[in-house]
Amino acid sequence: MLNILLLISLLSGSLWAQSSLNFCTKDLETFPTLSGGREKPLFVLATETLKYITGETKVGDLSSTEAFCKLSLKAFGMPLDLPINVKVEHVEVRKSLGMGPDQTSVPVGELIQKRDIITRELAKIKENNSFKKELNKVQGRLQTYDAIVSARAWNIPITQDGKIQFIPLSEFITEQRIAGAQGKGSNPIEFLFREAKDSYLKIKGEHYLIELNYFKWNLFTWSLLLSILAIMFFIITKNKIPGIVLTTLSIAFQITAMSMRVMISGRAPITNMYETVMFSGFGALIISIVIFFMRKEILFVVAGLAFNVLSLMMMKFANGMLDEGISPLVPVLRDNFWLSTHVTTVILSYAALALSWILANSLLIRSRFRTVSSNDYKYEVDLIYTSIKFGVVLLSAGVILGGVWADYSWGRFWGWDPKETWSLIVLLIYMAILHGKYTTWIPAHRFVPLVAGAFMSVMMAWFGVNYILASGLHSYGFSEGGAVFLGSFFAIQILILVSCMKKRTAA
Amino acid sequence: MNIIIQYYRKVELFFGNLKFAVFIILLFAASLAYGTFMESYHGTEYANRLIYKSLWFMGIQFAMFLSILFATLIRLPFKKHLAGFYVIHAGLITLFLGSYVTYHSGVDGTMTLNPNLPAREIQLNEDEFKIQFPSKGKEVTIALPYGAFEKELGYEYEGIRINKFLPFAENEQGWIPVKVEDKTQSSTQYLLYNDNFSEKLTLSLHPQSDFNNTQRLGPLNVHYMPETLLGCFDDNTQDGLIIWNGETSGCMSPGPSDIRKLKSINGREVIEVSFEGRQIRFLPTMSPLPLDDKMELNELSPFRIFSKKMFETAPHLFLFGKNAAFFNKENQKWESHASIQKDIELPWMGFKVSVLEHRSDAYPTMVPVYTKPIQDNSQVIKGNLKAVEVEIEGQRFWVNSLEPVAYNKNGERVTFELSKKQLLLPYEIVLDQFKMDTDPGTNNPASYESFVTLFKGNEGSTKHRVFMNNPLKYKDFTFYQASYFQTNEGPFGSVLSVNFDPGRFWKYLGSLLLVLGSIWHFVIRKRPHLKPGEASA
Repeated sequence: MLNILLLISLLSGSLWAQSSLNFCTKDLETFPTLSGGREKPLFVLATETLKYITGETKVGDLSSTEAFCKLSLKAFGMPLDLPINVKVEHVEVRKSLGMGPDQTSVPVGELIQKRDIITRELAKIKENNSFKKELNKVQGRLQTYDAIVSARAWNIPITQDGKIQFIPLSEFITEQRIAGAQGKGSNPIEFLFREAKDSYLKIKGEHYLIELNYFKWNLFTWSLLLSILAIMFFIITKNKIPGIVLTTLSIAFQITAMSMRVMISGRAPITNMYETVMFSGFGALIISIVIFFMRKEILFVVAGLAFNVLSLMMMKFANGMLDEGISPLVPVLRDNFWLSTHVTTVILSYAALALSWILANSLLIRSRFRTVSSNDYKYEVDLIYTSIKFGVVLLSAGVILGGVWADYSWGRFWGWDPKETWSLIVLLIYMAILHGKYTTWIPAHRFVPLVAGAFMSVMMAWFGVNYILASGLHSYGFSEGGAVFLGSFFAIQILILVSCMKKRTAA
Repeated sequence: MNIIIQYYRKVELFFGNLKFAVFIILLFAASLAYGTFMESYHGTEYANRLIYKSLWFMGIQFAMFLSILFATLIRLPFKKHLAGFYVIHAGLITLFLGSYVTYHSGVDGTMTLNPNLPAREIQLNEDEFKIQFPSKGKEVTIALPYGAFEKELGYEYEGIRINKFLPFAENEQGWIPVKVEDKTQSSTQYLLYNDNFSEKLTLSLHPQSDFNNTQRLGPLNVHYMPETLLGCFDDNTQDGLIIWNGETSGCMSPGPSDIRKLKSINGREVIEVSFEGRQIRFLPTMSPLPLDDKMELNELSPFRIFSKKMFETAPHLFLFGKNAAFFNKENQKWESHASIQKDIELPWMGFKVSVLEHRSDAYPTMVPVYTKPIQDNSQVIKGNLKAVEVEIEGQRFWVNSLEPVAYNKNGERVTFELSKKQLLLPYEIVLDQFKMDTDPGTNNPASYESFVTLFKGNEGSTKHRVFMNNPLKYKDFTFYQASYFQTNEGPFGSVLSVNFDPGRFWKYLGSLLLVLGSIWHFVIRKRPHLKPGEASA
């Protein structure tokens, strides 16, 4: 690694400082780099890394790329002092690091001093509880910071035997390279980086830049606004045209965003929690439109839009739980037609069941606060029934496709894997409701709250298996994002059921 | 005849009833939910033993089957508007039958392939217990029950009783009484601790104990010795030599007047010491063993020699029951503490030691105790052991799944082994190479691949690549890439999951019927939809 003396010997001190100031600009956002096993623009790496360490995408006035670049130059002795504050989420961890309970972050310099506290605490705790997990995260954030300031986090493309290889910045800036670049431009560093980028573009092209636009355009945020507006127009005016136009636009934005995601990752957009939420919101809207054409009932589209808005809000605001980053898949999930088909079908079924959930809750709440005529009630129950039918058919197909996938990948049709088992439980619960509807056990006034409540099983299968079951015995302290979300969901749903139930018994 | 028909109608009405269907569906769902939580807390095997492969769960599934079957029969003869219903339920019945065929005669196991070693054993999930009589060339295999809890077996063969089986156990320390008390074979439990660390130490001089008389804790060496030796550590002689008799535990620290220096052999110093009325010769710088008349090391002799000086450079703690001795580097002196009541401060990193239990009427040993397994981070961290209790001639002992046990029964050698049931293939598979690719610039695996050769006896051999989603299929069996491990020698070994599923066709057929039936029933079939403001009939 070079030190400042070496650089000073190559450039005058003032020239170096000046050139580096000029060097770390927003132009670097499009610089190709390699991180987490994928090639991406520097903007994405810088934003993801800074967000991971600090929870913010900016450092003071500096953009993520500028800050990342400047921090990386620290490795070469640049005397920079950026106000980096490391995020610490767990109250107990804050306490053990001597922070106030409401202090959300700690200056990195201070944290480095307390490194031994983290190591000691980690060695002390044997159980893998939420405290230990957060300590591990804080340690991870510190290690990531170390990697940046020692110029190991930023990988630079070089051409070797006509192929692109990536080497860390620390290995890229060598005396030899800088000497070779002397006099070839106003600034040898800038020249080297331009050369690296050009050689990458020559071999690999601009495909990687899709990701830059994907993150910069914020298409999902725009869809969220469009969907909200569409609901408002459908409710406020009798004229359906503005609502239809806004819905169409929202769908177009979402299709564009998802297509970009597919182009970036090269796979179906249903391989992690973030993507299933994204796809379910989109799927609910599409299914609602399909049912709308069958039943000529705009209420479906409003329900579809409502679920679309909920899922887009989760994508935008539930960052602690849903990671929007695109990372490579574990081997068993790769190139797998059956998996994609299975997950798509199951997520679409959850989307259809989500429609029934929204319709059921809306009927439940409305009939609690005002009188819904018996005919209207029956009509809406019929609408709920229609969405459940779609959900159940899709879910049966999805569960079976899951078996086909397991058979194809693991050699067993059914292995009682918790995710598969829970999707079967969901199917069984809805089947029990559908069968019970033909008995005296489930008349219409019980059908509605049962359908509203049954969606809790969907949430358990969808989120609970990952955030509660998969984390094991010691870690479901309800302190982590997913468990808190799910717990709140159950609490609110049960509250709605209980408060709406009272009205009926009183009537 | 009428009675039979009447009886049948009753059965049909009971099982074919919709309310029974709702009840059994919910019961099934509740059992499954319970199963997933048990799996999360206690691991896959526990959940399988407790729920998914248990008799009661089979019973629920059978009741589901009956419900579906009779619900269909009760709706015969054929009614056109129920066509979708018939297809769905016929699909479910086929699916159930297919699953039963798989359960009954399918094979689901794993195959561990060490690099370049031929393998033909498939490990199944069930456990078995083998008793072998090598001299008679006889072997008895007992299938162990697939339950989640401790099970009394009460099996007896030629005076060997198999008492019980623990499917999940953890070794815990227990005390076994000795027949004749011998103070020189005592055992003690200590607590060694400082502000950041504490560790229980169990040390024993009893030959049958699972615990040793020495233990290393990082840089610290702990030695456990008979109590009578403490006195010799107190004597500060010039050479720091201590001689002791392992049988009587008598010892002495010879001073210069007790030692006669003899000629050296091969440049090494030989000394002769007078101890317990005998003249004993040693090579003190070379071995703790004495020399015999031929000037060779005598391994059978109970006498030992060592120099305290050897234990002055690194931290060594000598424990003698309730007594302790160590070299204190600060004042360059040996310190000894007799009958420690209070904790002793040691001269290393603020460590202290205290006696928890000291016994010579019993010795400590590891005894498997039934434990519900505990899973953390998708790994079973407790209760990984399985054990069987065997009783011969009134003597009880445990055989666990880690290693076979040999027993001398009236001069005849009998071995016991607790292991997974195996299935032998009529052909061999050799792992030529295991390859793992990582994502660029990371250590995350991107793909696993096994290059194997299949030896088919007379039919010659073929080469295959087994990787994710590309299994090897040969004669009804399918081999999938499942896992890998690193061998001690360095190269990777591979684990394949092996599968034979005779119910596969029926399961696919049933699935197809189910999906087509659902579409027919719910989507295609014309059902009058309600219009807004319209009541249903």
